[in-house]
Amino acid sequence: MSRRSYNAGWSLTGWVFLILLLIFAVAPMLWMLITSFKSQFAALKYPPEFIPSNPNLEQYERLLSPKNEVGRQFLRYMANSIWVSTATTILGVAVAVPAAYAFARFRFPGRQALFFSVLFRNMFPAVVFLMPLFIMMRWMGLVNTYSSLIITYLTFGLPLSIWLLKGFYDNIPIELEQAARIDGCTRFQAFYLIVMPLSAPGIIATAIYSFITAWNEYVYALTFLNDDQKLTLPVGLQRFFTEYATNWPGLMAASFIMSVPVVVMFLILQKYFVRALTEGAVKA
Amino acid sequence: MAQVEFQNVVKSYGAFEAVKSVSFTVEDGEFVALVGPSGCGKTTTLNLVAGLLDLTSGDIKVSGKTISDLDPKDRDIAMVFQNYALYPNKTVQQNLAFPLKMRKVPKRDIGAKVAEAARLLEITHLLDRYPRELSGGQQQRVALGRALVRDPQVFLMDEPLSNLDAKLRVQMRSELKRFHQDLSATIIYVTHDQLEAMTMADKMAVMSGGVLQQYDAPERIFEEPANTFVAGFVGSPSMNLLPATAVERDGAVYATGDGWELVLAPRNAASARASSGPGIILGARHSSLGLHDTETPGCIQARVFTVEPTGDITFVHVDVGDSTFVISVDPERRIAADQTVWIEFDQNKLHVFDAQTEKRIAPG
Repeated sequence: MSRRSYNAGWSLTGWVFLILLLIFAVAPMLWMLITSFKSQFAALKYPPEFIPSNPNLEQYERLLSPKNEVGRQFLRYMANSIWVSTATTILGVAVAVPAAYAFARFRFPGRQALFFSVLFRNMFPAVVFLMPLFIMMRWMGLVNTYSSLIITYLTFGLPLSIWLLKGFYDNIPIELEQAARIDGCTRFQAFYLIVMPLSAPGIIATAIYSFITAWNEYVYALTFLNDDQKLTLPVGLQRFFTEYATNWPGLMAASFIMSVPVVVMFLILQKYFVRALTEGAVKA
Repeated sequence: MAQVEFQNVVKSYGAFEAVKSVSFTVEDGEFVALVGPSGCGKTTTLNLVAGLLDLTSGDIKVSGKTISDLDPKDRDIAMVFQNYALYPNKTVQQNLAFPLKMRKVPKRDIGAKVAEAARLLEITHLLDRYPRELSGGQQQRVALGRALVRDPQVFLMDEPLSNLDAKLRVQMRSELKRFHQDLSATIIYVTHDQLEAMTMADKMAVMSGGVLQQYDAPERIFEEPANTFVAGFVGSPSMNLLPATAVERDGAVYATGDGWELVLAPRNAASARASSGPGIILGARHSSLGLHDTETPGCIQARVFTVEPTGDITFVHVDVGDSTFVISVDPERRIAADQTVWIEFDQNKLHVFDAQTEKRIAPG
């Protein structure tokens, strides 16, 4: 077998594999989008219509218009989700950046132990902590508040964020900071003016990660919140659209709208995300 | 420019003393090289001047004023790092302007000063590039430019040439020397390469184990090394050191060793007598030794280990007792391994060290 056909064989296998993967990833999204354009009746038809015979934007109009009850409720959930996710992201970055920097640069007693204890949480499935956290939140009087979710998401997101950013700071030569301090910076200015811009890909990746985690989270939101007006999107959608009978096109349209911010954000920032994962964290 | 004074400078990490009570003065406009093997405390000393490390005790003064309590930014010094530490997300122009910007120099002055520094270092055509787009030599120039653009009192350089290839290093070495002469800048330069220190510096501070071994002009350090460490460290190949016992007989002093004996000339005999004990160490540079093929009076017998021709000069390694000597001979000479030879000492260039203290005893 010549080298050329050997390569071609592998390349073909690669393509087949990629296409299968693509179908696996994209087909549900596509089905969601198709269904959202159908009428209630068409959505339940068997055999299913792969191309809607009578596509319409009725569901989207209903969801995005604050004039009707459904739209008001949906936009309300959306606002809740944006608030919880944004707060989680901002707080997460604000804590992860200095924490990661300290782990990377300073030598203090218990540094190693502390770093691993940060990662310790990630060894257990999130559900394990559901009841203990719920009881804790009740003690603190935080049940049915956004704070309960923001605090929970922070503790879940921080380990990876810190770990990811530490990799970044480890890779930035300390001489850059020293040079900056000799060139006239205070210690903080050296960090702010020199180190921060260099770690921007890591910070952006961390932010995306925190946001997406918070945006998609379901179990904790379901447990901690019970006021109908406070629900986040994942829980709200489930409750709202399946209360009496499932409105599939409505649910699919809402799901599609919900996934738009995540997808857009990821598309814009994916080059930083990839850089963060390859440049920073992979270094042992 | 300025004078830098080190007064009993100590830096310790817990029980470990990296720098042990170092004192010396760098005069205004002097180029001083801190040399020593890795871990000798030379970079630590430099970082203490820069303010990147805090003194444990002692004091460092620049132009008579203590700087020990100042932040690095307030010390009016500039530093060139081994890896250059250019800001990767800034262009050359922005790199050069950064120290001025941080010192709130007016914008139009920044432009002029950057242009002047760029002209001096011949990097004007590179101003819009990023550091990653430059060669090693160009990065080196930019690093130098960033140091000199704000006209500091003292330049600190931490092995600035060690990342360059051999040819470029020789070129940059002469450029740095020229740069020092033109600016009459006060420079403290750290290197592990004694040749670099010898060729460029006005004075050398030889360090080992955190202790300043000797501080003097390179030629004096070469000719009168303070102790066996300096003798072995400075010069390439390093000085041949031969442990011996001094014995007084019939009014003459003999240095004896395993199977050999050498009558010491009066100047060296006096040194040997001044030693704290009978144990001495003889030191001789490769160029002060001669080789004879036949037995010659006043010479000691040895066996050739290897012969290394380098073109201009041939180095012969010979075994004398437990020691190995390196002797330079004319490349025309035919010498073979395992041959028996006789070594002749030029006693006017022979050094005598006290085996106990390892210090050199000045000839009497």
